[in-house]
Amino acid sequence: MRQQFKKTVLQLAEEDDRLVLLFGDISVFLFNDFSQKYPERLLNIGICENTLISMAAGMSATGYRPVVHTITPFVTERSYEQVKLDLCYNRFGCTIVTVGGSFDYAWDGATHHCYTDLELMRMLPGMEVMQPGSKKEFDILFRACYKNGSPSYIRIAADGHGLDLPCEFGKGIIVQETKGAEVTVITSGPILGNVAEACSGLPVNILYFPTIKPLDVSLLRKFDDTDLIVVHDAFGLFEAITAAGGVKAAYHGLPDEFCCYYGALDDIRREIGLDPAGIRNAVLEYSGCSEAPARRAGPHKIVKVN
Amino acid sequence: MDGLSLQIRESILKISHHSGHGHIPTCFSVVETLRAVYETMRHNPADPDWAERDLFVLSKGHAALGLYCTLAHFGYFPIQDVYAFGGFGSRFGCHADRFKIPGIELSTGSLGHGIGVATGMALGLKMSGSDRRVYVVVGDGEANEGTVWEALMVAAHRSLDNMTVVFDNNRSQARCLPVRDPERKFSAFGFDVTSVEGHDVSAIREALALKADRPRAVVANTVKGAGCRTLVNDVFAWHRRSPDAHELEILLGELHETAV
Repeated sequence: MRQQFKKTVLQLAEEDDRLVLLFGDISVFLFNDFSQKYPERLLNIGICENTLISMAAGMSATGYRPVVHTITPFVTERSYEQVKLDLCYNRFGCTIVTVGGSFDYAWDGATHHCYTDLELMRMLPGMEVMQPGSKKEFDILFRACYKNGSPSYIRIAADGHGLDLPCEFGKGIIVQETKGAEVTVITSGPILGNVAEACSGLPVNILYFPTIKPLDVSLLRKFDDTDLIVVHDAFGLFEAITAAGGVKAAYHGLPDEFCCYYGALDDIRREIGLDPAGIRNAVLEYSGCSEAPARRAGPHKIVKVN
Repeated sequence: MDGLSLQIRESILKISHHSGHGHIPTCFSVVETLRAVYETMRHNPADPDWAERDLFVLSKGHAALGLYCTLAHFGYFPIQDVYAFGGFGSRFGCHADRFKIPGIELSTGSLGHGIGVATGMALGLKMSGSDRRVYVVVGDGEANEGTVWEALMVAAHRSLDNMTVVFDNNRSQARCLPVRDPERKFSAFGFDVTSVEGHDVSAIREALALKADRPRAVVANTVKGAGCRTLVNDVFAWHRRSPDAHELEILLGELHETAV
Protein backbone atom coordinates (compact mmCIF):
# COMPACT_ATOMS: atom_id res chain seq x y z
CA MET A 1 0.00 0.00 0.00
CA ARG A 2 2.95 2.30 0.63
CA GLN A 3 4.02 1.80 -2.99
CA GLN A 4 0.53 2.81 -4.02
CA PHE A 5 0.86 5.94 -1.88
CA LYS A 6 3.93 6.92 -3.86
CA LYS A 7 2.30 6.08 -7.17
CA THR A 8 -0.83 8.09 -6.39
CA VAL A 9 1.11 11.05 -5.08
CA LEU A 10 3.41 11.08 -8.11
CA GLN A 11 0.41 11.31 -10.37
CA LEU A 12 -1.26 14.01 -8.30
CA ALA A 13 1.96 16.03 -8.07
CA GLU A 14 2.06 16.19 -11.83
CA GLU A 15 -1.45 17.58 -11.93
CA ASP A 16 -1.20 19.92 -8.95
CA ASP A 17 1.79 22.17 -8.23
CA ARG A 18 0.46 22.84 -4.76
CA LEU A 19 1.12 19.30 -3.56
CA VAL A 20 4.10 19.05 -1.18
CA LEU A 21 5.20 16.10 0.92
CA LEU A 22 6.31 16.69 4.50
CA PHE A 23 7.97 13.57 5.89
CA GLY A 24 8.98 12.74 9.42
CA ASP A 25 12.12 10.95 8.25
CA ILE A 26 10.46 7.80 6.95
CA SER A 27 9.84 6.44 3.44
CA VAL A 28 12.49 8.80 2.05
CA PHE A 29 14.33 6.05 0.18
CA LEU A 30 11.08 4.68 -1.19
CA PHE A 31 10.24 8.12 -2.57
CA ASN A 32 13.61 8.59 -4.28
CA ASP A 33 12.02 8.87 -7.69
CA PHE A 34 9.59 11.49 -6.38
CA SER A 35 12.38 13.58 -4.93
CA GLN A 36 14.39 13.23 -8.13
CA LYS A 37 11.48 14.48 -10.16
CA TYR A 38 10.37 17.14 -7.65
CA PRO A 39 13.42 17.88 -5.48
CA GLU A 40 11.81 20.86 -3.75
CA ARG A 41 8.50 19.19 -3.06
CA LEU A 42 9.60 16.39 -0.76
CA LEU A 43 10.57 17.99 2.52
CA ASN A 44 12.03 15.60 5.03
CA ILE A 45 11.43 17.89 7.98
CA GLY A 46 12.95 15.78 10.73
CA ILE A 47 11.97 13.69 13.72
CA CYS A 48 9.78 16.44 15.13
CA GLU A 49 6.19 15.43 14.51
CA ASN A 50 4.61 18.35 16.33
CA THR A 51 6.46 20.80 14.15
CA LEU A 52 5.71 18.65 11.12
CA ILE A 53 1.99 19.21 11.64
CA SER A 54 2.34 22.89 12.56
CA MET A 55 4.42 23.51 9.46
CA ALA A 56 1.87 21.73 7.31
CA ALA A 57 -0.71 24.21 8.62
CA GLY A 58 1.60 27.09 7.80
CA MET A 59 2.25 25.82 4.31
CA SER A 60 -1.46 25.36 3.78
CA ALA A 61 -1.91 29.01 4.85
CA THR A 62 0.39 30.04 2.01
CA GLY A 63 -1.47 28.08 -0.65
CA TYR A 64 0.14 24.65 -0.61
CA ARG A 65 -1.60 21.28 -0.24
CA PRO A 66 0.62 19.48 2.28
CA VAL A 67 0.68 15.71 2.65
CA VAL A 68 2.24 14.69 5.96
CA HIS A 69 3.65 11.21 6.32
CA THR A 70 5.17 9.39 9.25
CA ILE A 71 4.57 6.60 11.76
CA THR A 72 1.08 6.37 13.24
CA PRO A 73 1.50 6.95 16.99
CA PHE A 74 3.98 9.76 16.67
CA VAL A 75 1.83 12.00 14.52
CA THR A 76 -1.53 11.18 16.07
CA GLU A 77 -0.99 10.53 19.76
CA ARG A 78 2.08 12.73 20.21
CA SER A 79 0.94 15.52 17.92
CA TYR A 80 -2.74 15.43 18.75
CA GLU A 81 -2.98 19.04 19.85
CA GLN A 82 -1.21 20.24 16.71
CA VAL A 83 -3.68 18.29 14.59
CA LYS A 84 -6.59 19.56 16.67
CA LEU A 85 -5.62 23.23 16.73
CA ASP A 86 -3.27 24.00 13.86
CA LEU A 87 -5.15 21.93 11.28
CA CYS A 88 -8.73 21.42 12.43
CA TYR A 89 -9.49 24.53 14.51
CA ASN A 90 -7.67 26.76 12.05
CA ARG A 91 -9.18 24.83 9.13
CA PHE A 92 -5.94 24.40 7.24
CA GLY A 93 -6.15 21.52 4.78
CA CYS A 94 -3.67 18.68 5.09
CA THR A 95 -3.71 14.98 4.32
CA ILE A 96 -2.02 12.90 6.99
CA VAL A 97 -0.86 9.49 5.81
CA THR A 98 0.55 7.11 8.39
CA VAL A 99 2.08 3.67 8.51
CA GLY A 100 2.31 1.27 11.43
CA GLY A 101 -1.27 1.46 12.69
CA SER A 102 -2.57 -1.09 15.18
CA PHE A 103 0.00 -3.90 15.28
CA ASP A 104 1.75 -3.54 11.94
CA TYR A 105 4.96 -3.10 13.93
CA ALA A 106 4.09 -6.00 16.22
CA TRP A 107 7.72 -6.86 16.86
CA ASP A 108 8.53 -3.37 18.14
CA GLY A 109 6.27 -3.59 21.15
CA ALA A 110 3.82 -1.12 22.63
CA THR A 111 5.84 2.01 21.83
CA HIS A 112 5.13 1.41 18.15
CA HIS A 113 1.60 0.05 18.40
CA CYS A 114 -1.23 2.49 17.79
CA TYR A 115 -4.90 1.63 17.87
CA THR A 116 -6.24 4.99 19.06
CA ASP A 117 -5.43 6.98 15.91
CA LEU A 118 -8.70 6.46 14.07
CA GLU A 119 -10.81 7.40 17.08
CA LEU A 120 -8.61 10.34 18.06
CA MET A 121 -8.87 11.75 14.56
CA ARG A 122 -12.59 10.96 14.34
CA MET A 123 -13.28 13.08 17.41
CA LEU A 124 -11.85 16.22 15.81
CA PRO A 125 -14.34 18.55 14.13
CA GLY A 126 -13.74 18.78 10.40
CA MET A 127 -11.44 15.77 10.18
CA GLU A 128 -12.05 12.96 7.69
CA VAL A 129 -10.88 9.48 8.64
CA MET A 130 -10.14 6.56 6.36
CA GLN A 131 -8.76 3.08 6.76
CA PRO A 132 -8.37 1.55 3.30
CA GLY A 133 -7.90 -2.20 3.07
CA SER A 134 -6.33 -2.42 -0.37
CA LYS A 135 -4.17 -0.44 -2.78
CA LYS A 136 -7.20 0.33 -4.88
CA GLU A 137 -9.09 1.71 -1.90
CA PHE A 138 -6.10 3.80 -0.87
CA ASP A 139 -5.85 5.33 -4.32
CA ILE A 140 -9.55 6.21 -4.48
CA LEU A 141 -9.83 7.50 -0.93
CA PHE A 142 -6.58 9.48 -1.00
CA ARG A 143 -7.54 11.23 -4.22
CA ALA A 144 -10.97 12.08 -2.83
CA CYS A 145 -9.76 13.58 0.42
CA TYR A 146 -6.83 15.36 -1.20
CA LYS A 147 -9.16 16.90 -3.73
CA ASN A 148 -11.64 18.29 -1.22
CA GLY A 149 -8.91 20.12 0.70
CA SER A 150 -10.14 19.32 4.22
CA PRO A 151 -7.95 18.01 7.03
CA SER A 152 -7.96 14.28 6.56
CA TYR A 153 -6.38 11.18 8.00
CA ILE A 154 -5.64 8.00 6.13
CA ARG A 155 -3.87 4.97 7.47
CA ILE A 156 -1.67 2.77 5.26
CA ALA A 157 -1.58 -0.89 6.26
CA ALA A 158 1.15 -3.47 5.91
CA ASP A 159 -1.33 -6.00 4.58
CA GLY A 160 -4.54 -5.95 2.59
CA HIS A 161 -7.83 -7.80 2.83
CA GLY A 162 -7.25 -9.46 -0.54
CA LEU A 163 -10.70 -8.65 -1.91
CA ASP A 164 -11.57 -6.55 -4.92
CA LEU A 165 -14.39 -4.32 -3.75
CA PRO A 166 -16.01 -1.18 -5.12
CA CYS A 167 -14.92 1.91 -3.23
CA GLU A 168 -16.18 5.45 -2.90
CA PHE A 169 -15.27 8.12 -0.35
CA GLY A 170 -17.86 8.27 2.43
CA LYS A 171 -19.54 5.04 1.39
CA GLY A 172 -19.69 1.67 3.07
CA ILE A 173 -20.38 -1.51 1.18
CA ILE A 174 -22.19 -4.79 1.73
CA VAL A 175 -19.64 -7.59 1.50
CA GLN A 176 -22.06 -10.33 2.43
CA GLU A 177 -25.82 -10.21 2.78
CA THR A 178 -27.79 -13.17 4.08
CA LYS A 179 -31.56 -13.18 3.80
CA GLY A 180 -33.12 -13.15 7.24
CA ALA A 181 -29.82 -12.70 9.02
CA GLU A 182 -30.16 -11.47 12.58
CA VAL A 183 -26.51 -10.50 12.96
CA THR A 184 -24.44 -8.03 10.98
CA VAL A 185 -20.66 -8.01 11.31
CA ILE A 186 -19.04 -4.64 10.68
CA THR A 187 -15.39 -3.88 10.04
CA SER A 188 -12.90 -1.59 8.33
CA GLY A 189 -9.45 -1.93 6.80
CA PRO A 190 -7.38 -5.02 6.06
CA ILE A 191 -8.87 -7.12 8.85
CA LEU A 192 -11.88 -7.54 6.59
CA GLY A 193 -9.90 -10.49 5.14
CA ASN A 194 -10.05 -12.30 8.47
CA VAL A 195 -13.67 -11.28 9.02
CA ALA A 196 -14.76 -12.62 5.63
CA GLU A 197 -12.94 -15.89 6.21
CA ALA A 198 -14.35 -16.16 9.74
CA CYS A 199 -17.91 -15.61 8.60
CA SER A 200 -17.75 -17.94 5.65
CA GLY A 201 -20.88 -20.08 5.71
CA LEU A 202 -22.39 -18.25 8.66
CA PRO A 203 -25.87 -16.72 8.24
CA VAL A 204 -24.70 -13.15 8.88
CA ASN A 205 -24.30 -9.92 6.95
CA ILE A 206 -20.92 -8.23 6.59
CA LEU A 207 -20.62 -4.47 6.19
CA TYR A 208 -17.35 -2.75 5.37
CA PHE A 209 -16.58 0.93 6.04
CA PRO A 210 -13.19 2.06 4.69
CA THR A 211 -14.35 5.62 5.39
CA ILE A 212 -14.96 5.94 9.12
CA LYS A 213 -15.73 9.66 9.02
CA PRO A 214 -17.99 10.69 7.45
CA LEU A 215 -19.70 7.39 8.18
CA ASP A 216 -22.16 6.00 5.67
CA VAL A 217 -25.07 6.12 8.11
CA SER A 218 -27.66 5.40 5.44
CA LEU A 219 -26.09 2.01 4.80
CA LEU A 220 -26.01 1.32 8.52
CA ARG A 221 -29.70 2.19 8.79
CA LYS A 222 -30.58 -0.60 6.40
CA PHE A 223 -29.26 -3.10 8.93
CA ASP A 224 -30.28 -1.50 12.20
CA ASP A 225 -32.95 -4.11 12.74
CA THR A 226 -30.18 -6.68 13.15
CA ASP A 227 -27.73 -7.09 16.00
CA LEU A 228 -24.44 -5.48 15.08
CA ILE A 229 -21.02 -6.71 16.05
CA VAL A 230 -18.05 -4.53 15.22
CA VAL A 231 -14.87 -6.54 14.68
CA HIS A 232 -11.88 -4.23 14.50
CA ASP A 233 -8.29 -3.92 15.68
CA ALA A 234 -8.51 -0.25 16.59
CA PHE A 235 -10.76 2.21 18.35
CA GLY A 236 -12.83 4.39 16.09
CA LEU A 237 -15.19 2.28 14.07
CA PHE A 238 -17.21 0.96 17.00
CA GLU A 239 -17.51 4.47 18.41
CA ALA A 240 -18.59 5.82 15.01
CA ILE A 241 -21.25 3.12 14.71
CA THR A 242 -22.66 3.69 18.17
CA ALA A 243 -22.49 7.47 17.75
CA ALA A 244 -24.82 7.07 14.78
CA GLY A 245 -27.46 6.03 17.33
CA GLY A 246 -30.38 3.68 17.14
CA VAL A 247 -28.30 0.53 16.95
CA LYS A 248 -27.55 -2.36 19.21
CA ALA A 249 -23.85 -2.97 18.77
CA ALA A 250 -21.19 -5.12 20.38
CA TYR A 251 -17.46 -4.97 19.93
CA HIS A 252 -14.88 -7.65 19.43
CA GLY A 253 -11.27 -6.63 19.24
CA LEU A 254 -8.83 -4.80 21.44
CA PRO A 255 -8.13 -5.78 25.00
CA ASP A 256 -7.65 -3.15 27.70
CA GLU A 257 -3.96 -3.85 28.00
CA PHE A 258 -0.73 -3.44 26.05
CA CYS A 259 -0.11 -6.27 23.59
CA CYS A 260 3.61 -6.77 24.07
CA TYR A 261 3.91 -10.20 22.52
CA TYR A 262 6.25 -9.16 19.68
CA GLY A 263 6.28 -11.52 16.70
CA ALA A 264 4.27 -10.59 13.62
CA LEU A 265 0.92 -8.93 13.03
CA ASP A 266 -0.86 -12.26 12.70
CA ASP A 267 0.65 -13.47 15.98
CA ILE A 268 -0.92 -10.60 17.87
CA ARG A 269 -4.21 -10.95 16.03
CA ARG A 270 -4.28 -14.62 16.98
CA GLU A 271 -3.41 -13.84 20.59
CA ILE A 272 -6.24 -11.35 21.00
CA GLY A 273 -8.80 -13.32 19.05
CA LEU A 274 -8.69 -11.38 15.80
CA ASP A 275 -7.55 -14.27 13.64
CA PRO A 276 -10.30 -15.96 11.58
CA ALA A 277 -10.91 -18.61 14.27
CA GLY A 278 -11.13 -16.04 17.05
CA ILE A 279 -13.46 -13.83 15.07
CA ARG A 280 -15.65 -16.79 14.13
CA ASN A 281 -15.96 -17.78 17.77
CA ALA A 282 -16.88 -14.25 18.75
CA VAL A 283 -19.54 -14.01 16.04
CA LEU A 284 -20.94 -17.41 16.99
CA GLU A 285 -21.01 -16.49 20.64
CA TYR A 286 -22.71 -13.19 19.92
CA SER A 287 -25.29 -14.70 17.64
CA GLY A 288 -26.05 -17.52 20.08
CA CYS A 289 -25.20 -20.09 17.47
CA SER A 290 -24.80 -23.66 18.64
CA GLU A 291 -21.71 -24.43 16.58
CA ALA A 292 -18.97 -25.57 18.97
CA PRO A 293 -16.03 -23.15 19.07
CA ALA A 294 -12.94 -24.50 17.33
CA ARG A 295 -10.86 -22.83 20.00
CA ARG A 296 -11.19 -20.14 22.56
CA ALA A 297 -11.08 -16.72 21.06
CA GLY A 298 -8.00 -15.72 22.99
CA PRO A 299 -7.37 -14.77 26.58
CA HIS A 300 -7.94 -11.04 26.12
CA LYS A 301 -11.03 -11.01 24.02
CA ILE A 302 -13.60 -8.52 25.17
CA VAL A 303 -17.10 -7.95 23.99
CA LYS A 304 -18.81 -4.75 24.99
CA VAL A 305 -22.55 -4.62 24.55
CA ASN A 306 -24.53 -1.39 24.53
CA MET B 1 6.40 55.76 26.94
CA ASP B 2 4.95 57.95 24.22
CA GLY B 3 1.34 58.98 23.79
CA LEU B 4 0.38 56.07 21.58
CA SER B 5 1.80 53.39 23.87
CA LEU B 6 0.01 55.11 26.74
CA GLN B 7 -3.23 55.09 24.79
CA ILE B 8 -2.96 51.38 23.95
CA ARG B 9 -2.21 50.52 27.58
CA GLU B 10 -5.13 52.63 28.74
CA SER B 11 -7.41 50.72 26.39
CA ILE B 12 -6.10 47.40 27.70
CA LEU B 13 -6.78 48.43 31.29
CA LYS B 14 -10.22 49.84 30.61
CA ILE B 15 -11.34 46.86 28.51
CA SER B 16 -10.04 44.41 31.09
CA HIS B 17 -11.91 46.30 33.81
CA HIS B 18 -15.06 46.44 31.70
CA SER B 19 -15.00 42.78 30.65
CA GLY B 20 -13.40 41.10 33.64
CA HIS B 21 -10.96 39.35 31.31
CA GLY B 22 -7.42 39.70 30.03
CA HIS B 23 -3.79 39.04 30.83
CA ILE B 24 -2.72 42.63 31.45
CA PRO B 25 0.98 42.24 32.38
CA THR B 26 1.82 40.09 29.36
CA CYS B 27 -0.09 42.49 27.10
CA PHE B 28 1.86 45.42 28.53
CA SER B 29 5.18 43.76 27.80
CA VAL B 30 4.46 43.52 24.06
CA VAL B 31 2.80 46.89 23.37
CA GLU B 32 5.93 48.40 21.83
CA THR B 33 6.76 45.15 20.00
CA LEU B 34 3.32 44.99 18.39
CA ARG B 35 3.49 48.64 17.40
CA ALA B 36 6.94 48.17 15.87
CA VAL B 37 5.90 45.07 13.96
CA TYR B 38 2.79 46.69 12.50
CA GLU B 39 4.78 49.83 11.64
CA THR B 40 7.31 47.64 9.81
CA MET B 41 5.37 44.91 8.04
CA ARG B 42 3.41 45.25 4.83
CA HIS B 43 -0.26 45.21 5.63
CA ASN B 44 -3.45 47.00 4.69
CA PRO B 45 -6.19 47.41 7.30
CA ALA B 46 -8.64 48.28 4.53
CA ASP B 47 -7.84 44.97 2.85
CA PRO B 48 -6.74 42.52 5.55
CA ASP B 49 -6.50 39.68 3.01
CA TRP B 50 -4.29 41.66 0.65
CA ALA B 51 -2.32 39.05 -1.29
CA GLU B 52 1.01 40.85 -0.85
CA ARG B 53 0.75 41.33 2.90
CA ASP B 54 3.36 40.07 5.33
CA LEU B 55 2.12 37.59 7.91
CA PHE B 56 2.06 38.12 11.66
CA VAL B 57 1.54 35.38 14.24
CA LEU B 58 1.08 36.02 17.95
CA SER B 59 2.43 32.72 19.20
CA LYS B 60 2.01 33.84 22.83
CA GLY B 61 -1.70 34.02 22.21
CA HIS B 62 -2.76 35.19 25.65
CA ALA B 63 -1.63 38.71 24.74
CA ALA B 64 -4.65 38.86 22.43
CA LEU B 65 -6.12 41.92 24.14
CA GLY B 66 -2.90 43.81 23.46
CA LEU B 67 -3.06 42.73 19.84
CA TYR B 68 -6.72 43.79 19.49
CA CYS B 69 -5.94 47.24 20.89
CA THR B 70 -2.99 47.56 18.51
CA LEU B 71 -5.05 46.43 15.51
CA ALA B 72 -7.76 48.90 16.48
CA HIS B 73 -5.18 51.68 16.53
CA PHE B 74 -4.04 50.70 13.02
CA GLY B 75 -7.64 50.87 11.81
CA TYR B 76 -8.73 47.26 11.55
CA PHE B 77 -11.85 47.94 13.64
CA PRO B 78 -13.07 50.55 16.15
CA ILE B 79 -11.65 50.21 19.66
CA GLN B 80 -15.22 50.40 21.00
CA ASP B 81 -15.87 46.97 19.47
CA VAL B 82 -13.19 45.42 21.66
CA TYR B 83 -15.14 46.24 24.81
CA ALA B 84 -17.14 43.07 24.09
CA PHE B 85 -13.91 41.20 24.90
CA GLY B 86 -14.52 37.71 26.23
CA GLY B 87 -18.29 38.05 26.33
CA PHE B 88 -20.69 35.42 25.05
CA GLY B 89 -21.13 35.82 21.32
CA SER B 90 -18.34 38.39 21.06
CA ARG B 91 -15.91 38.03 18.20
CA PHE B 92 -13.11 39.19 20.51
CA GLY B 93 -12.20 36.11 22.49
CA CYS B 94 -9.51 36.01 25.14
CA HIS B 95 -7.51 34.23 22.48
CA ALA B 96 -7.92 35.43 18.92
CA ASP B 97 -9.93 33.56 16.30
CA ARG B 98 -8.71 34.09 12.77
CA PHE B 99 -12.17 33.59 11.35
CA LYS B 100 -13.65 36.38 13.47
CA ILE B 101 -11.05 39.13 13.55
CA PRO B 102 -9.61 40.86 10.48
CA GLY B 103 -5.82 40.88 10.57
CA ILE B 104 -5.46 37.65 12.53
CA GLU B 105 -3.58 35.04 10.51
CA LEU B 106 -3.66 32.21 13.06
CA SER B 107 -5.90 31.33 15.97
CA THR B 108 -3.51 30.79 18.86
CA GLY B 109 -3.75 30.22 22.59
CA SER B 110 -2.08 26.96 23.45
CA LEU B 111 1.58 27.82 23.72
CA GLY B 112 4.26 26.57 21.35
CA HIS B 113 2.05 26.29 18.25
CA GLY B 114 2.38 29.62 16.47
CA ILE B 115 6.12 29.39 15.96
CA GLY B 116 5.79 26.06 14.12
CA VAL B 117 2.98 27.34 11.92
CA ALA B 118 4.97 30.52 11.23
CA THR B 119 7.90 28.34 10.17
CA GLY B 120 5.63 26.55 7.69
CA MET B 121 4.34 29.91 6.43
CA ALA B 122 7.88 31.17 5.89
CA LEU B 123 8.87 27.97 4.10
CA GLY B 124 5.78 28.14 1.89
CA LEU B 125 6.41 31.77 0.96
CA LYS B 126 10.06 31.13 0.29
CA MET B 127 9.34 28.08 -1.88
CA SER B 128 6.89 30.07 -3.97
CA GLY B 129 9.47 32.81 -4.56
CA SER B 130 7.46 35.46 -2.71
CA ASP B 131 9.18 38.36 -0.95
CA ARG B 132 6.53 38.43 1.77
CA ARG B 133 7.86 38.02 5.31
CA VAL B 134 6.63 36.29 8.44
CA TYR B 135 6.83 37.90 11.89
CA VAL B 136 6.11 35.87 15.00
CA VAL B 137 6.09 36.89 18.66
CA VAL B 138 7.16 34.17 21.07
CA GLY B 139 7.20 34.59 24.84
CA ASP B 140 10.00 33.43 27.10
CA GLY B 141 7.48 31.47 29.14
CA GLU B 142 6.25 29.88 25.95
CA ALA B 143 9.83 28.87 25.22
CA ASN B 144 9.50 26.27 27.98
CA GLU B 145 7.69 24.31 25.29
CA GLY B 146 9.92 21.99 23.30
CA THR B 147 8.05 22.74 20.09
CA VAL B 148 9.54 26.23 20.08
CA TRP B 149 13.02 24.79 19.79
CA GLU B 150 11.97 22.18 17.22
CA ALA B 151 10.64 24.95 15.01
CA LEU B 152 13.73 27.11 15.47
CA MET B 153 15.95 24.21 14.43
CA VAL B 154 13.92 23.65 11.28
CA ALA B 155 13.76 27.37 10.43
CA ALA B 156 17.52 27.71 10.72
CA HIS B 157 18.18 24.48 8.84
CA ARG B 158 15.93 25.65 6.01
CA SER B 159 17.61 29.10 6.01
CA LEU B 160 14.30 30.88 6.32
CA ASP B 161 15.64 34.38 5.87
CA ASN B 162 12.09 35.68 5.45
CA MET B 163 11.18 34.95 9.05
CA THR B 164 11.69 37.13 12.12
CA VAL B 165 11.03 35.91 15.64
CA VAL B 166 10.48 38.59 18.26
CA PHE B 167 11.26 37.01 21.59
CA ASP B 168 9.37 38.76 24.37
CA ASN B 169 11.92 38.33 27.12
CA ASN B 170 9.80 39.50 30.03
CA ARG B 171 11.19 36.88 32.44
CA SER B 172 7.73 35.49 33.04
CA GLN B 173 9.14 32.12 34.01
CA ALA B 174 11.38 33.42 36.77
CA ARG B 175 9.56 31.29 39.33
CA CYS B 176 9.95 27.94 37.56
CA LEU B 177 11.93 27.48 34.36
CA PRO B 178 13.63 30.69 33.22
CA VAL B 179 15.02 30.78 29.70
CA ARG B 180 18.43 32.22 30.45
CA ASP B 181 20.55 34.04 27.92
CA PRO B 182 18.13 33.76 24.98
CA GLU B 183 20.51 35.62 22.65
CA ARG B 184 23.06 32.82 22.94
CA LYS B 185 20.39 30.17 22.57
CA PHE B 186 19.00 31.72 19.36
CA SER B 187 22.50 32.17 18.06
CA ALA B 188 23.40 28.56 18.83
CA PHE B 189 20.27 27.48 16.96
CA GLY B 190 21.49 29.31 13.87
CA PHE B 191 19.60 32.60 14.05
CA ASP B 192 20.90 36.07 13.38
CA VAL B 193 20.24 37.80 16.71
CA THR B 194 19.70 41.37 17.81
CA SER B 195 19.00 42.26 21.40
CA VAL B 196 17.00 45.42 22.08
CA GLU B 197 15.34 47.39 24.84
CA GLY B 198 11.86 46.01 24.38
CA HIS B 199 9.97 49.18 25.27
CA ASP B 200 11.80 51.33 22.72
CA VAL B 201 9.67 51.27 19.57
CA SER B 202 12.40 52.80 17.41
CA ALA B 203 15.00 50.31 18.58
CA ILE B 204 12.68 47.37 17.84
CA ARG B 205 11.79 48.83 14.46
CA GLU B 206 15.46 49.24 13.57
CA ALA B 207 16.14 45.65 14.60
CA LEU B 208 13.20 44.42 12.53
CA ALA B 209 14.56 46.21 9.47
CA LEU B 210 17.87 44.35 9.57
CA LYS B 211 18.39 41.68 6.94
CA ALA B 212 20.31 38.42 7.13
CA ASP B 213 20.86 35.28 5.10
CA ARG B 214 19.12 33.23 7.80
CA PRO B 215 16.16 33.65 10.12
CA ARG B 216 16.32 36.58 12.48
CA ALA B 217 15.58 36.81 16.18
CA VAL B 218 14.95 40.10 17.94
CA VAL B 219 15.23 39.57 21.65
CA ALA B 220 13.03 42.27 23.15
CA ASN B 221 14.06 42.70 26.75
CA THR B 222 10.82 43.73 28.37
CA VAL B 223 9.17 44.12 31.72
CA LYS B 224 5.98 42.29 32.44
CA GLY B 225 3.40 44.92 33.32
CA ALA B 226 5.64 47.76 32.07
CA GLY B 227 4.02 51.11 32.71
CA CYS B 228 2.33 50.36 36.03
CA ARG B 229 4.47 49.73 39.10
CA THR B 230 1.65 47.87 40.82
CA LEU B 231 1.68 45.29 38.03
CA VAL B 232 5.46 45.11 37.82
CA ASN B 233 5.79 44.62 41.56
CA ASP B 234 3.27 41.80 41.70
CA VAL B 235 3.16 40.17 38.26
CA PHE B 236 2.01 36.78 39.42
CA ALA B 237 -1.01 38.16 41.30
CA TRP B 238 -1.94 40.18 38.22
CA HIS B 239 -1.26 37.42 35.68
CA ARG B 240 -4.92 37.06 34.85
CA ARG B 241 -6.74 39.57 36.92
CA SER B 242 -8.88 42.52 35.99
CA PRO B 243 -8.87 45.74 38.00
CA ASP B 244 -11.97 46.91 39.86
CA ALA B 245 -12.95 50.58 39.59
CA HIS B 246 -10.62 51.70 42.36
CA GLU B 247 -7.68 49.66 41.04
CA LEU B 248 -8.32 50.95 37.55
CA GLU B 249 -8.01 54.50 38.81
CA ILE B 250 -4.71 53.68 40.50
CA LEU B 251 -3.32 51.87 37.47
CA LEU B 252 -4.33 54.66 35.09
CA GLY B 253 -2.66 57.12 37.41
CA GLU B 254 0.54 55.10 37.43
CA LEU B 255 0.46 54.89 33.65
CA HIS B 256 0.27 58.65 33.31
CA GLU B 257 3.08 59.12 35.83
CA THR B 258 5.25 56.78 33.75
CA ALA B 259 4.32 58.55 30.54
CA VAL B 260 5.44 61.86 31.96
